Amino acid sequence: MVPKVAIYDFTDCEGCEVKLVSIREKLLILEKRIDIVNWRLGQEDNKPGPFDLTIIEGTPITQHEVDLLKKLRQDSKVLIALGACATLGGIPAILDKKERAKWYKKIYGEEYKPRGIDALPLSAYVKVDFLIHGCPIDENELIRIFQELLAGKTPAYRGYSVCFECKQANNPCRIINGQPCLGPITQGGCGSICIKGGSPCYGCFGLRQEANVKGLVEVLQGLTDKKEIERYFTMFLSRAFDK
Amino acid sequence: MNEFIAKIEGHGSLNIDWGKNEVELNVFEGERLFEGLLVGRTAEEMHWITPRICGVCPTAHNLTSLAAVEAALDIRVNQTTVLLRELMQAGQAIQSHALHLFFLSLPDYLGIDRGTELAQKNPAAFKNALALKEVSDEIVQIVAGRNVHPTTSTIGGFHKVPSKKVLKKLLDKLNKSESAAQKTLDLAAGLDYPELKVDLQLVVQEGDSIVAVSSNNIKGRKESSIRNYKQDISEEIKSYSTAKFGRYKGQEMLVGPLARLAVYGDYDKKYKLDFANPFHNNLAQAIEILGCHQKAQKIIEQLLESELDVKVVKPGSNPSLEGIGAIEAPRGGLYHEVHLDEKGIIKQANIITPTVQNLTSIEKSAQALLNQTKNRSQKELERLLTMLVRAYDPCITCSVH
Repeated sequence: MVPKVAIYDFTDCEGCEVKLVSIREKLLILEKRIDIVNWRLGQEDNKPGPFDLTIIEGTPITQHEVDLLKKLRQDSKVLIALGACATLGGIPAILDKKERAKWYKKIYGEEYKPRGIDALPLSAYVKVDFLIHGCPIDENELIRIFQELLAGKTPAYRGYSVCFECKQANNPCRIINGQPCLGPITQGGCGSICIKGGSPCYGCFGLRQEANVKGLVEVLQGLTDKKEIERYFTMFLSRAFDK
Repeated sequence: MNEFIAKIEGHGSLNIDWGKNEVELNVFEGERLFEGLLVGRTAEEMHWITPRICGVCPTAHNLTSLAAVEAALDIRVNQTTVLLRELMQAGQAIQSHALHLFFLSLPDYLGIDRGTELAQKNPAAFKNALALKEVSDEIVQIVAGRNVHPTTSTIGGFHKVPSKKVLKKLLDKLNKSESAAQKTLDLAAGLDYPELKVDLQLVVQEGDSIVAVSSNNIKGRKESSIRNYKQDISEEIKSYSTAKFGRYKGQEMLVGPLARLAVYGDYDKKYKLDFANPFHNNLAQAIEILGCHQKAQKIIEQLLESELDVKVVKPGSNPSLEGIGAIEAPRGGLYHEVHLDEKGIIKQANIITPTVQNLTSIEKSAQALLNQTKNRSQKELERLLTMLVRAYDPCITCSVH
């Protein structure tokens, strides 16, 4: 049986779906192994569940999205979060619920009835079977995870931090050079792409297992002030410490 | 018809009142409040955060934020940076247009459901689609560090500049893919566009100005200064939409490829563009794919002939700390404004995206289509209306930022 796959997007930039299209020829090969029965961004002929595999991009920010997420969980054998908005709450989660209320008034005026509730990861509402991290996701990771799923395996998380890949890429170490970086506590899989380009690591691949967050914060305190450390930890990881 | 429209970026639907023969564009995208979440962040984080507004045109947001911050800090970047950024912009336009044309709009004209079905229906065209996607991704990857969400760009220049060797290889690749751009344009020129005539203002950025022409008479120009963008492009809040609806000097406006070609006129006139028919936006996209492809080739040639200046320009001694960035993004004029404090922390941010400006004209054009199309079933009309919305290439995600 060819697995029935659904791809949904909640509130986000849809860049991870763009990444999915970027695998080009491989998407065609993938389409031969799976049956994409529901993908609003890609097709008009969309069928309701049940699905063998549901991939969800974005954060469920409106009540409609939260309800849909719960229904999709019931309708899906396996549910996977695609990209940082789904796995961590993403950039929208920089603002918490209280701050959101303030900005609604400033941006939309007093009369406006907000649709959004709070920017949280999918796991705040339902059980998620696997997280494909990244802002955006990495194509090679995506292909690896699909291969493992199609082979009937449970995909594994990378057991090392971004630092490992950073060394492999021969990047100069930001921390040794006195620049803040969340690479040491962040799960690998990105190929240290941001650091390679000269940008910081803000942890969009999520915390790695047994991350020594306290240790890193101590190191960062020697490099910069409290405010900057907070800015780094709230770029993607505001909700990572909720549990 | 309250289901979300398929094959557009973001979540919107058309609400048609058949009794009154009226149509409304409802936008349901969740609000992310970017103008709020930028406040308190550093100037250097602005061009890092704003690409996340839109995964289809992240590079345009990146460049617009950089322009705004550099205006605020009184930075004039060097010629190498200017050229590399123009190359990013050209690559971004091909990425966005090719994705939209082949995967979202073309299926409507060819009677297929999803873009990948083109692989069977028209293998040659599909091969061109993949070639354009690949080469445009590669342009942005090489210059910006990643095809979605740049990593190499920074205030005053680039963290990293590609080597001439890499640029030469890219040029060789582009020289091969130019025919794919030409064939894509030939394909678009042969499509059967539904008839529609709408009186709209076509609005573009040109130098420091915003220029508007009428869709019925592209010769008469109205001009205003980009400095006054906030007064001239007004945003209206509607009860049925999480996106604001933009107007230029109080009237409906159309921005993007069709408007640009009307105002700039820099295309081969053998392609018969009808500026009063928004369906022709798809043909305009194909014309721009070829134009941007050729522009990218020219820019790389210029870069190869010049000495690459890798220096990052530092802020001026007495900057105003307030700046506006304005860039023609794939879907039209994009505006970012930023106010900084002395430490470079963002105090205030304002963003107007192309789709915000297009929403009023999408509604007006949809209404015109309802009024002008006779003797069609409701189902057929719905199909045409959806196709019209798609032809605009709306980015609902951008519009609700």
